[in-house]
Amino acid sequence: MGRLSRVIVLVISSSALLLLAGVSRAGDIKGKVTVQGIKSAEDIAVYVDAVPGKKFDAPAEHVVIDQKKMTFVPHVTVIMQGTTVDFLNSDPVGHNVYWPSISGNKKLAHNMGTWPQGQKKSFQFSDLGAAPLLCNVHPEMSGYAVIVPTPYFAITDKEGNYTIKNVPPGHYTMLTWSEEGKPTTQSVDVNAGTATVDITVKK
Amino acid sequence: MKLRASSVCMSAILIVVGTVFWILVSTPRASAIPAFSRKYQTSCSTCHNNYPELNDFGEAFKKNGFKFPKDDELFVKELPVLLGAKAQKEAFPGAIFPGEIPGSLPIAFRYSGNFSWNAKQPQALQATAFVPQTDLFVPNTFTIISAGSFGQNLAFWVDDDISAGGTGAGGGLGDGYLRYNDLGHIFHLPKNALNVRFGQFELDLPFTQARSIYPSAYDVFSETAVAQPSTTPGQTVFQTTNNSFMLGTPQRGIEFGGYPNNGNFTWSVAIVDGTNSAYGLDSSLTARNTKDVYVRVSQRFNLERDPESRNAVQAAGPSGPRDHTSIRFGAFYYHGQNQLNYGGSQFSFLGTIDEPFYRTGGDVRFKYRKMELFGVGLVGHDNNHSVDTAAQTITNAPAVTYTGGFAGSNFWIYPWLIAYMRYDFVNSPTDFANGVSEYQTRNRFSPGFQVLVRANIKVIGEYQYHWGQPYIDPATGNTLFFRPNAFVGGIDYVF
Repeated sequence: MGRLSRVIVLVISSSALLLLAGVSRAGDIKGKVTVQGIKSAEDIAVYVDAVPGKKFDAPAEHVVIDQKKMTFVPHVTVIMQGTTVDFLNSDPVGHNVYWPSISGNKKLAHNMGTWPQGQKKSFQFSDLGAAPLLCNVHPEMSGYAVIVPTPYFAITDKEGNYTIKNVPPGHYTMLTWSEEGKPTTQSVDVNAGTATVDITVKK
Repeated sequence: MKLRASSVCMSAILIVVGTVFWILVSTPRASAIPAFSRKYQTSCSTCHNNYPELNDFGEAFKKNGFKFPKDDELFVKELPVLLGAKAQKEAFPGAIFPGEIPGSLPIAFRYSGNFSWNAKQPQALQATAFVPQTDLFVPNTFTIISAGSFGQNLAFWVDDDISAGGTGAGGGLGDGYLRYNDLGHIFHLPKNALNVRFGQFELDLPFTQARSIYPSAYDVFSETAVAQPSTTPGQTVFQTTNNSFMLGTPQRGIEFGGYPNNGNFTWSVAIVDGTNSAYGLDSSLTARNTKDVYVRVSQRFNLERDPESRNAVQAAGPSGPRDHTSIRFGAFYYHGQNQLNYGGSQFSFLGTIDEPFYRTGGDVRFKYRKMELFGVGLVGHDNNHSVDTAAQTITNAPAVTYTGGFAGSNFWIYPWLIAYMRYDFVNSPTDFANGVSEYQTRNRFSPGFQVLVRANIKVIGEYQYHWGQPYIDPATGNTLFFRPNAFVGGIDYVF
C-alpha cells in the first residue's frame, strides 16, 4: 500500500472512531421512585420536560390501550404529544371510553362512544396533560393517558424502578406524574453513560 | 253521594281501608344484590339504571341465571368453590354430578326507612284509625338478600325482610327459589327457551312490585275482592265472596318460562298454591285444596336502527352503551278458585263453597333514551254467592268485579337524578258500595323523585294525592270524605 493510501485509511478510520464516539455519548436516565403516603410506586410516569428550541416529531406508530375483563390495560399509558392511541375493546360487553378533562381542563373533555368486541377507535392526543380514562357504563373502570412533550419517558415497575433510554447529552428537567401523588421536578445532566436520578413522590 | 251506615260497619270499613293503606306504604321490597358487585368487582350501575330497576344488561344477567350474558367466567373476580372437578361429569352416575358454590357467601343487605307527612285527619277518623301527621322512618325495613348461581344451569334467590315497620318481628320471606336455566337444551330447544323455577316467588308480573323503585305499591296489584267486609246484627243474607288474593303477593309453586329470541319474547306458566300466608301477618290467608295458574306472554320490539346494536345486549350510544329503544306489549291471565266454608266453618248447613276467580290484563312499556313510559290495565272477576241462613239456601249472586291499572313515566334528568309521575286507579263497584271511597273509581297521583347519592344509596321523595276516604261526621251523622294525601321521603341503601 502506498503512503497516500495509508493516510487515507488512517483518516477514514479516525473519522469513524470519532463518529462512533459521538453516537455513544447519548445516555440513559435510570433510577428509583420512592413514595410517601401513597400505596405503590408502580405506574408513575417519569419524563423529560420540553427542551427549549427543540421540536420532536410524534411517532407514527400507534399505541394500544385495551379494555379487557372490565379493566383498562395498561392502567397508565405514557405517550408523546401527537401520538395516536387505538382504544380496543376485547370484552364481550359494550364499553365506552371518555375523559372528562385533560389535567383538569374540561374543554378538552371527549367521549369516544361505544364499540363492540374486537373493534377499536383511535384518537390523536395533541394536548399535554393527564387524561383520566373512564367508561360510563362501568364506573369502576379507570385508566390514564399521560401526554408528555418529549419522546424521553418511562413508567415505573412494581418496585418503582424506571429507565429512559437514548437521551442526548444535556441539561434537562425531569417531571413525574402519579395518580395519587403530587408532581415532582428534578434536574439532571446527561452525558455519555447512565445518569441515575432517584425521585421521591409525595401525596 | 252521602250514605248512612252504622258505626260498627263504618269501623270495619275503616279497618279495611286502613289495611289497604298500610299495605300500600309498607310493601316489602326485595331488590338489588351487591353480592354481584363483589363477585364481579363492578358497580351497581352495570346492571341497574336506578336500583332495583334493571337496565338491559341487568335483565340479560338475570335471565341468564345471574351470570354475565357472555363469557361469564372471564369476569368473575371471586372464584367459586368446586364441589367436584368438571371431569367428574364423565364419571356420573358413578359419582355425584359436579357442581359449585359461590366462593364467598353471597349476602347483601338493604335498609329503607321513610319519613312521611300525612294530611291532618278529621277528628272522627283519629278515634278509629289514627295516622300521625308526621312519622319518622315508617316503614323501617331491613332485608337480607342472597342470590347467585350453582354452576352453569342452576341459579338461586332468597330474600327475607328481617324486620319491617319497626316491630322487629313483622318480616317475612319474599322470594326463595331455585331455578334451572335452559332446561330446553335437553329437548334441543333454543337457548333459554325453557327454564323452570320452584319455591316461593313473585309472579312474572308485567312490572315487579317486589323490586319496584317506588315507595308505594301499585294499587291494582293490592286489590282484593270482598263482597261485604262486615255483617250487621240480625243479618241473615250474606254475600260470600271474600278473596284476599293479591296479584302482588309472592306465591309458592313451580313456574316454567323462557326468553327465546334474544329475550325479546318471554313466556311463563306458573302453577301455584294460590293465597298463602305471606309474611305470616294475616291468618285469613290460608292454603286451599285447589291450585291456581298464572300465564304471561310478552313481546318486545327492538326499535334500534343499527342491526348490530339491535342484537347486542345494550345499544351503542354516542356517549356509551344504553338501553335499547323499544316497545313491549304483554298480556297475563291468572285463574284461581277460592274455597270457603271448609268443614262448614261459616255455614254449617253447607259444604265447601267454590268460587272461581280470574285476573287478566295487558301492559305496555316504551323506552327511549332517558325516558320510560309504562301502563297496565287489568280486570278482576270473582264468582259470588248469596247465602240465606234463615232459609238455609245458597244461590248465585252478581260477581264481584273490578277494573284498574296504572300508568306512569320515569325520566333520567341525570344518571343520578330521576323524576317520575304515576297514576293509579281502581274501579270497584263493590268497594264503592261498601263505602271504601267517595266515587266508584279510586284515583291516586304520585309524582316523585329519586336521587342516587351514590350507586348504592338513594334519597327518595313521593307525594301521593289520594282518593276520598269516608268517615262519619259526629255532629250530623253524615258520611263525609277526606283525602289522606301524604308526602313520603326516605333513605335507602344496600351493601
